[in-house]
Amino acid sequence: MLVDAVHPFDELDELVKRTQQGDQAAFSALYEQCHRRVYALCLRLLADQAHAEDACQEVFVQLWHKITQFDGKSKFTTWLHSVTSNIAISYLRKHKNWLQKVVSFENSGMDEAGIALCGDLNGLDKLILKLPERARLVFVLHGVEGYRHEEIAEMLNMAVGSSKSQYHRAKKLLQEWYEND
Amino acid sequence: MTKPTFDEFLSEELSKAKQQDGLPKPQQPLWQGIDKAINAHNDAVRNTTPKSTGVWRQVSAIAAATCIGMCVMYFSMSTPEQNNMLQMSQYFEQQKQLMLVQYSSQPALTNDWQVQLQELEEAEQAIKLALENDAQNAALLQMLAQVYQQQLDLIERVHQPRWQEI
Repeated sequence: MLVDAVHPFDELDELVKRTQQGDQAAFSALYEQCHRRVYALCLRLLADQAHAEDACQEVFVQLWHKITQFDGKSKFTTWLHSVTSNIAISYLRKHKNWLQKVVSFENSGMDEAGIALCGDLNGLDKLILKLPERARLVFVLHGVEGYRHEEIAEMLNMAVGSSKSQYHRAKKLLQEWYEND
Repeated sequence: MTKPTFDEFLSEELSKAKQQDGLPKPQQPLWQGIDKAINAHNDAVRNTTPKSTGVWRQVSAIAAATCIGMCVMYFSMSTPEQNNMLQMSQYFEQQKQLMLVQYSSQPALTNDWQVQLQELEEAEQAIKLALENDAQNAALLQMLAQVYQQQLDLIERVHQPRWQEI
């Protein structure tokens, strides 16, 4: 999974243990180590800088309250990514405006101006943010985060076949944009 | 130098996507808001005893969620032609009233929010008037929907501050 050369896992595990005991200083250090991962995942899923910042805050507030539920059976970063994905997806549902819920149309991806506001992004991130919503969610969850299509189908409340077809749609769009760039 | 193929590009970028150095950064500091939200919650837990208003809020929130869910289901099953101004207005009014009831016992962050709401309501009336002469005008319907959304956003925003702004 994610290896961080500056902050090895044993240090992270120690911070997690101390945070589970209610140590706020440890939690602050944990935030310093992990917030970019959390923010990056929120940004990729939500394709909106302000929403990603809000969702990132929500993740850490919930993390403070739920960190005792982390049982150490998986790596902390794996668990954190799973918590982040779920929070970002429910954030997306919660913040769809009522018209979007009523007529059920898909949000298009971020435009060039929005991408420019997000600061330094690598080539793939710039393209991911341009993807339409469903294709983007599936691509990030499967292609970047490594979830299986069965898991994604459950998370996004869609058929397994839809998840696979959205993934292919995303790849096709990314390839088209990359080759025409 | 030749451009890498798409598969090569994807493979390289995906491996970089998991490294700390290449990750995007938030554009503003987020920790302060998190810290305040955590401490505000801790203070509230320490100071709060169960009150009937808390139960009322929960009940009204559940009722609102149920009603909104039913409305969304109803509209999802309707054909686009049926989603006219009247249905849109009824749906909006229900949501607005539910939110106003839900937040009635909660102080607002600004004093002039009702003035802002009134201005939006005036805009709503002007668009409705225009729609009386051109009921299927998509641009007007879209404007009406935006004004409705702005009203809901306003009510929510003044009663539920974002953590960044605490």
